[in-house]
Amino acid sequence: MTVATLSLTILAAILLLYAWRRNDGSHRRGIILGWKTLRRTLPLLLVAFAIVGYVNVLSPQTMVQAWLGPDSGWTGLLLAEGLGMLLPGGPYVVFPLIAVLYRAGAGIGPAVTLVTSWAALALISVSFELPFMGWRFTAVRWGLGLTVPLLAGGMVQLIF
Amino acid sequence: MSDRIPLLLALVPLGLAGLAWWRGGVELALAGLVQGSNTLLSVIPLLIAAFLIAGLIQTLVNQELVTRWLGAGSGWRGIALACLGGALIPGGPYVYYPIAAALLKSGAGLGVLVAFVTAKNLWSVSRLPMEFALLGPRLTVIRFAATLILPPVLGFLAEFLFGQQIERIREATP
Repeated sequence: MTVATLSLTILAAILLLYAWRRNDGSHRRGIILGWKTLRRTLPLLLVAFAIVGYVNVLSPQTMVQAWLGPDSGWTGLLLAEGLGMLLPGGPYVVFPLIAVLYRAGAGIGPAVTLVTSWAALALISVSFELPFMGWRFTAVRWGLGLTVPLLAGGMVQLIF
Repeated sequence: MSDRIPLLLALVPLGLAGLAWWRGGVELALAGLVQGSNTLLSVIPLLIAAFLIAGLIQTLVNQELVTRWLGAGSGWRGIALACLGGALIPGGPYVYYPIAAALLKSGAGLGVLVAFVTAKNLWSVSRLPMEFALLGPRLTVIRFAATLILPPVLGFLAEFLFGQQIERIREATP
């Protein structure tokens, strides 16, 4: 965690310096854009971390292990794919939730399916895809992607 | 619609709080909130740096340049460029779908567009530090390796299966 914070802080400082040296107000625009994004995401973040806290204290280890554990097989993968589609919000919101499930005993296969399904199939992204790309493109892209989380998770579960 | 999502999602911790209260009284219900706040406090420096990076990249990366690289290509070169552009472009769906839609309208092929969106979804470079920090190196590396070949493969597959339909797909855009 500290290594990640440090490296991200250094990266932010380098970008800020570069933007400032361009002398066109880029640094100020960048900070404002970042702040706006943070402010927009804040309600979701608060809710997500409340969920993280409750999942932690309720410690549903046995439930998570039974449904998404290493021995949950194809049902675990299917469940993970469905869950991944429903996860709302960006990485700041979704990764803490997945991390808590993974620490509570989810298998590496279902965990990979969960991340992949959220990344490729999330319904919240589809709600942006439909109005911009039209239903035909969305059907092709989303339809082809349906098998992806299952294959990735299944392959990982077989190897590890 | 996106305004209502936090409200809807807020029902989940409320339900969980009820469950905690039922199982362990007020004490457990409060413990969940304390636990969640502590986790949030511990990642605040990380979040500040991450949002700062996201904002700065959006102002520094020239979107016209990305559009030119992706729109110009065709065949395997177009798909390779689309994968690269998708991996590098930061921001959420409100950033990359408008760009993809602009490419679609200006004549990009289906394979290029599917590769672009899939690479953004699975290779996203700007998301990797966050994934690494929050999910840990093991899960991140395995997840990345397991989905590494998919953006070009899905791009070629889409082009092969539905590439001829591109005019109808273009007509279906609002």
